[in-house]
Amino acid sequence: MNQPLILIIEDEEALRRFLIPTLSGQRYQVLSAATATEGLAMARSHNPDLVLLDLGLPDRDGMGVLKELRSWSRKPVVILSARNQERDKVRALDQGADDYLAKPFGAAELLARIRVALRHTLQTDVAEPLLRSGGLSIDLERREVSLDGRIVKLTALEYRLLEALVRRNGKVATHRQLLAEVWGPGGEGNTHYLRIYMAMLRKKLEADPTRPKHFITEPNVGYRLNLETPGD
Amino acid sequence: MVTPPLARPILVALSSEAQSLRLIHAGCRLARDRSAPWIGVYVDTEGRRGTEDAEQVQVWMQEAQRLGAEVQTVEAPTLAQGLADLTRRTRAQALVMGRSRDRWPWARLGHSTADELQRRGLDTEIVILDDRTAPLEKDIPGIRLSAMVGTFLVLAVCTGLAWLVPREGNLSLVLPVYLLGVTLIAHRWGSAFGILASALSVLLYNFLLETPRFRLAAYHWPNLLFFLLMLLAAQLMIGLLRRLRDQAKEVRRRELHTASLYLLGRALARNLGPDDVAATAAEHIRRVFKARAWLLFPEGAGWITRPADLDVATLPAPDFLLPRLVLGEQVGDPLEPVPVGDSLCLSLTGTDQSEGVLRILPGAGEPLHPRTWELLKAFAVQIALALERLRWLEEARKAQLERATERMRSTLLGAIGHDLRTPLAAIHGAASSLLLPGDVHDATRRDLLTMIQEESDRLAHLLGNILDLTRLESGAIQVQKEWQPLEEVVGSALGRMERRQGVLPIRVDLPEALPLVPLDAVLIEQVLINLLTNAQRHAPGLDLDLRAWHEPGWVHLEVADRGPGIPAEFQDRVFDKFFRLPGSGEGGVGLGLAICRAIVQAHGGRIHAEGRPGGGSSFRFALPLDGTPPAPPEGAESIPHGGTR
Repeated sequence: MNQPLILIIEDEEALRRFLIPTLSGQRYQVLSAATATEGLAMARSHNPDLVLLDLGLPDRDGMGVLKELRSWSRKPVVILSARNQERDKVRALDQGADDYLAKPFGAAELLARIRVALRHTLQTDVAEPLLRSGGLSIDLERREVSLDGRIVKLTALEYRLLEALVRRNGKVATHRQLLAEVWGPGGEGNTHYLRIYMAMLRKKLEADPTRPKHFITEPNVGYRLNLETPGD
Repeated sequence: MVTPPLARPILVALSSEAQSLRLIHAGCRLARDRSAPWIGVYVDTEGRRGTEDAEQVQVWMQEAQRLGAEVQTVEAPTLAQGLADLTRRTRAQALVMGRSRDRWPWARLGHSTADELQRRGLDTEIVILDDRTAPLEKDIPGIRLSAMVGTFLVLAVCTGLAWLVPREGNLSLVLPVYLLGVTLIAHRWGSAFGILASALSVLLYNFLLETPRFRLAAYHWPNLLFFLLMLLAAQLMIGLLRRLRDQAKEVRRRELHTASLYLLGRALARNLGPDDVAATAAEHIRRVFKARAWLLFPEGAGWITRPADLDVATLPAPDFLLPRLVLGEQVGDPLEPVPVGDSLCLSLTGTDQSEGVLRILPGAGEPLHPRTWELLKAFAVQIALALERLRWLEEARKAQLERATERMRSTLLGAIGHDLRTPLAAIHGAASSLLLPGDVHDATRRDLLTMIQEESDRLAHLLGNILDLTRLESGAIQVQKEWQPLEEVVGSALGRMERRQGVLPIRVDLPEALPLVPLDAVLIEQVLINLLTNAQRHAPGLDLDLRAWHEPGWVHLEVADRGPGIPAEFQDRVFDKFFRLPGSGEGGVGLGLAICRAIVQAHGGRIHAEGRPGGGSSFRFALPLDGTPPAPPEGAESIPHGGTR
């Protein structure tokens, strides 16, 4: 199989100079654009497997670029955003972005996010039946969760929440997405329900709930399940 | 020297006495009525006045000048001489002057300055303001039935008493009875009734009491003498009594004015904002004048009214009203408010500029008596000064804030100059040595690259702190509180630190039963990270404790270490920007704790540092549990799908 093609839409040259060799060094094919217009044109002509999109572009609002991309492509988009822009991140994620990286970020973090995003496109929505990480194992086929070999009983809602997180393993899930998925439409306002159920999941599935290893909080954005997968 | 421009001028003779103010106002009013210029004149009669008097004269001269008068000082041997000379020279059409307060009645009979001026044959109108009554007051009681009846009753009683006196040689006993009666009548119902009563008394005495009885026998000379004495004595006493009564009335009125001004001034001095000033002004005006009052402040093309219960749409626009008020102040009656619709408006002018407008709405059916205008004006001045004081305070506060910002900026530059340069120098050095030709040892290369990464982390951290603090202080960061378990934010803070640094020796003690807390997770996570980082720095390698507990209305968090602790005198200052403990050596710039304080305060909470029993320091902050906590999900299974409103 060909190496995945990654399109970088980023106006700052310094960042492009760091991104291009880092990604090329990992045998990805890399294209880069400095403006939204150029980036969108390249996306249409080359149909990249993943887009790294900076939200602060000189010629167009990054959110508009994302919307246009999403109008014809389901390929993953990872947002590059500044710190302290939780609102923008959440908006972008709810608009269909797959994940985000807050600047400044390191190479390891960048590559991990790209791997997760690409993996999700390759096995569209088919979550692996059995996940193990640390002492935690989740068997989606048998609907069984165990910690350190002991079976943990989950309520139906807790399980549904866990399932929603597992489907996105490694990727961030916004509050809104999780609420809509677990509580159905109309549940978006009740973020505290989600938080309480997350606390319950942590209590049952984390060795130390105040130092979560698997159920990571992205403050004011959402949650990220962090389970090792055989592919990594 | 004075060329009469249009009309012949009006002279106002000023002295050091307080009534000069009234003369000035009367002169100003007269000059406006006749569209004539007016001159305030002081006749200096060869240094007879002391310096105190001269100063007071100066005050009146300035006031006259403020109201548009020209002022002159004339030296002459007597007041009359000086005034006469100036009147001739300026061809003045009128001369306004007062009567001296302490002059004996007989001085008025042909010896006053006015009389003397008249004798000099001046072709001018002389307006004399009596100091005993205000010029506007005209208290002439009409002929009233009650007074008539009263007068007859009093005389009847007197006659009845006199009737009891034995005949012959009784004049000395009857006289005081009638004298008392007539005085009472004159005092009670005015001098007209006094004179009437005097005449009647004489007739009554003559007809009823003097022998031969029931006959008028006016040819007896003792009767004539009695008649004369009676009349003269009564008139004199009536005059004195009236004067006393008027003076007492005036004193009472002034006392009342002074007291109400004093009360207003004292109340205004305590006010801290324009709202308070307006409320105080409205309250005092309602009490003293029985009228409602508002303060109007121009805002663009409209008004801001305080109290705000006034329909702004009914008011004329500021562009129209303000110039009219200023004009009224300059050319109009100095005391008269400007009528606008059914209300009166006064410009609130402080020392340098208009502070707003005072609008008075008199109670239904009772217009403000012109005598109270003087007091109203004084009220307006007090209110204007109070507003001005507030404006100056605000300006001073702003200036101080600007200075503080300026100082902070220079401190910032000084502090970060050093802290930015150090990591930059390290990064630059490391990168350039990596670029040197020739092989670099693998371990060295790794060292240099690690250093580049660490130093750039430091730079990013520092910049982040500065940005955060600036944005927190400028209010650019909005606190987005959401109800959430404390555990979650503690978990994300610890997680963030441990992903970077590995497992840390931090003991966490969160009770099971903590309620949900309304907080901004991003910001509180930052507080926890800053406090933990600070503790790590001052107690490196030692165990840290992170605890939480709650009481009604508040949840408390504590980060405690076993380091050297903070000297008591610095426990408050550690939260100041750029404050570093003396001798704390390397470390942050002194922004981390300042950020903590800003964030906690933005949450409505409080933070403090204290010594820890057994050594070390403890940083505690409390967040309020304000608002209504959201309804908890009722048991895990009972949450309806999609219907969780």
